[in-house]
Amino acid sequence: MQTEAESAPPLPSRERNVLLLDLSKSMLAPLPDPQGGGPERQKIEVARTAVFRILQDSAQTGNLFGLVTFTETVRVPVPLGEIHRENLPYIENLISLLAPSGRSAIWDALGVGADLLRMGTNGVQGNLVLVTDGWDNASTRFETRGEPNGKASEGKVDLTPYILPAHSRVTLRIIGIGSGDERDKGVDAAHMNQLVGQLTQRAVELGLPPAFSFQMVSTGSQLFAQMVNAFLDVGYEDDRPIEELHPEELAHHAANAARALKEPQQHATVSRIKNAQAAGRSAGADSYSEAPEIEVDFLASGPGGPPAYLKERYGPLGEVVEAYLAGHYDHALELIQKTQGFLPSVTRLYWEARIQYARRAVVEAARALLQAWTEAEKLPANTQAPILRRLAVLQARMQNDKETETLVRFIDETEHHLANRDPKTRERLMDLFAKLMELRGTYQLTRLAGEGDLQDAALKHEAAVEEVFSLLQDARLDLSTEGASVEGALDFIEICLAEMR
Amino acid sequence: MPEVKVTTRRKSTAKKESKPSVDTTRIAVVGIPASGKTTYFRFLSGHFGLNLPILYIPARADNGSLPLFGDLENDVALEETTYETTDPTDPEGSLETTTRYYVNRPMEDRRKLWVELSAGRDEQGILTKYPLPTKFNQFVEMKMRFRYAAPEGESGSRPMELSTVDEAGGIIADYFTYDRLWLDSAEGEVSEKTCRVIPHFDSWRPDRRDLWKRGLTLLGRFVCGADAIILLLSPGLPSLRDQAQQVNLARGVFRYTHARNLPLVIAISKADKLKEFYGEVEQSVRERTFRSSFDPVDFLLRRDGAGMGTILVAQEGRGISTKSDVFLISSAVSTGEGHPLFIGETGDEAPSAGSVTMGVPVMVNTTLPLARACERILERRATKES
Repeated sequence: MQTEAESAPPLPSRERNVLLLDLSKSMLAPLPDPQGGGPERQKIEVARTAVFRILQDSAQTGNLFGLVTFTETVRVPVPLGEIHRENLPYIENLISLLAPSGRSAIWDALGVGADLLRMGTNGVQGNLVLVTDGWDNASTRFETRGEPNGKASEGKVDLTPYILPAHSRVTLRIIGIGSGDERDKGVDAAHMNQLVGQLTQRAVELGLPPAFSFQMVSTGSQLFAQMVNAFLDVGYEDDRPIEELHPEELAHHAANAARALKEPQQHATVSRIKNAQAAGRSAGADSYSEAPEIEVDFLASGPGGPPAYLKERYGPLGEVVEAYLAGHYDHALELIQKTQGFLPSVTRLYWEARIQYARRAVVEAARALLQAWTEAEKLPANTQAPILRRLAVLQARMQNDKETETLVRFIDETEHHLANRDPKTRERLMDLFAKLMELRGTYQLTRLAGEGDLQDAALKHEAAVEEVFSLLQDARLDLSTEGASVEGALDFIEICLAEMR
Repeated sequence: MPEVKVTTRRKSTAKKESKPSVDTTRIAVVGIPASGKTTYFRFLSGHFGLNLPILYIPARADNGSLPLFGDLENDVALEETTYETTDPTDPEGSLETTTRYYVNRPMEDRRKLWVELSAGRDEQGILTKYPLPTKFNQFVEMKMRFRYAAPEGESGSRPMELSTVDEAGGIIADYFTYDRLWLDSAEGEVSEKTCRVIPHFDSWRPDRRDLWKRGLTLLGRFVCGADAIILLLSPGLPSLRDQAQQVNLARGVFRYTHARNLPLVIAISKADKLKEFYGEVEQSVRERTFRSSFDPVDFLLRRDGAGMGTILVAQEGRGISTKSDVFLISSAVSTGEGHPLFIGETGDEAPSAGSVTMGVPVMVNTTLPLARACERILERRATKES
């Protein structure tokens, strides 16, 4: 006889995200933005910018994305699916044509969003993000009930069990725009809190992790930051992309990087960086964090100068970065200090450190960076690793530690290059980097061991090197058609291995 | 005046002139590009009674008498077969072979041409590299036949063969570095698919890929039947890539000899580049009773010479001994400006300028690694027999 678990469809392997966007007429209203200092922007403009950004991320990561819009009618302009890079212009064009009008069928939209994420007997699987500035005044299919066993209106379905049937694994983040104290002046905070409460209670009853939140925003910057919880970094002026290096230069870089592994006392920062996969594994597959995930993006500085449209693409953080790249450090510092409250702390502190360092205020920079390290330690494992690496690069710069900087930059750039590749390829390479880092331990023992133990330590180190080299050979054979980025990463690891002698 | 001739004989008429014995003991010489393989072979050929006057410094305690000599039963002491693509631009890359023989005496058959090592040094000239541009469109299989006295052997000596693939340090380094290429039998073949373990192999020109694959197969086959391996390490590599290649090769050779329980001897070539040691060589030239105190083990282990410290320590007890299996060699000690150091009859340095240079080239321990490899093969056999 088949058990329920055996007959259930397989759980999703990729992240599934559905954004529910309010297109009621009130979204045309402006949102104050005292931080920007420029003209006020309509709520819909800010939301559209954030949606573009989310789409780009989805195209990069390969996660599934769907968009639901609602007035009094619920529509699905982007059905849940993989976003292909080549389709981005069409989808973005479609989103730019979304014009607000009419009323808000919020509960119906949530019902449709849940349907997109429904996976048979596995219930609803994925993440819902609702962006709204109003009250539900047009739903015809669903409602939220004041009490769990409250009386149903005729013909309407209770939203809570519909969103959260048994075996589900769903998160809901509600971003409410404006103060909802008065009807039609902002989000219906009371109903939203009620919905979050009911979902939490039901999750507890079903033994599921509660993952529902409601957050109010009152400025354009806050709205953007809540929709795109970002950590953004840009390259340094003297950075040269790894793929531009001559083979002998690459060898020099690898030899430099190996020094960071061989001399841990002189390169303490290395011990702080973690491999994303390794971190994820140690945290456990079923771990759950209330902390929202942070989108991490790194923009390599190209020959044509700073990347275009930073403000448009990244909101207030983009504006800070723009000022920084233009060399207006004081203005950049002023801007970053105004982001307290809506930018993730780690992002704000990192940029404060980077700007202070550029201003040659070393003590202030070190203080901010120290705080950023502390904040980074609180992040969920899967987003922590790339952020730790960016902090490590800055710290290495501040300490003039070229070896650590080279090592971390190489790992970081490799992961960045592999962002669009098969996750298995990415994981395999990052695993190799992690194993390379582990060689620090066995190598160090060969330096510390006494005369009698030296041979034993050397044997262990050589065995560890051979093991990594064996994995490297398998990777060479399996990934021989994966292109220059993969080849470059494997070359780098191979030279580092030769240096660990 | 003896004739000095070079033969060119095509593959289609190929027929072995040498007479290798079925039970020939085989020793493979391996090293990265420019590690000294060619010079090692050429000067060893000279040692085997082929009229190259040389001085070994510092001599062994037993007055330098090593029971190594040319194979007198075999006319051919050294055999070189060049494998080359006829036209490097031809994508089909058709391959031709040319064999040349270095012999101990003038040969009667005038239709075949020989490089006659019994010629005097002046006539013979300086044997340098091969006449064609190399590295990318050719490699050379080298076989040197010699005898090593077996103290208890009935014939007093055994036929031995020293082999390498010359002009192919890259092939050698790749073969040993990547164990996925290793052949299990003398009939095996390295496949195109496994060649992809070599970085960027797919991006090479087809003819080079084909040549490389053939070289790997040839090397794989002869090391598969080898009784011992001599690893040449160069201590003065300026390029980091070369250093990495050498370390990877050494690790691979250790893995290979350990897995097959083969004797391994290490020769640190170009010892004249070790300045500290060179000073002692100079003193040896002036003072023939002087014994060098340069300690190669200390150099390799404690001062990390050639980047081999930890790796060598790990191998102690796994088949090699750094005390007795590691030697310094230099085929031609330089005066420091790229000119060979000659000493005259009085033992003083001979002038290298002028019309005629009188004197003999100074060499360091060149034969010791080979003698040690032979000793270890015989020890191994004696242990097995007992």
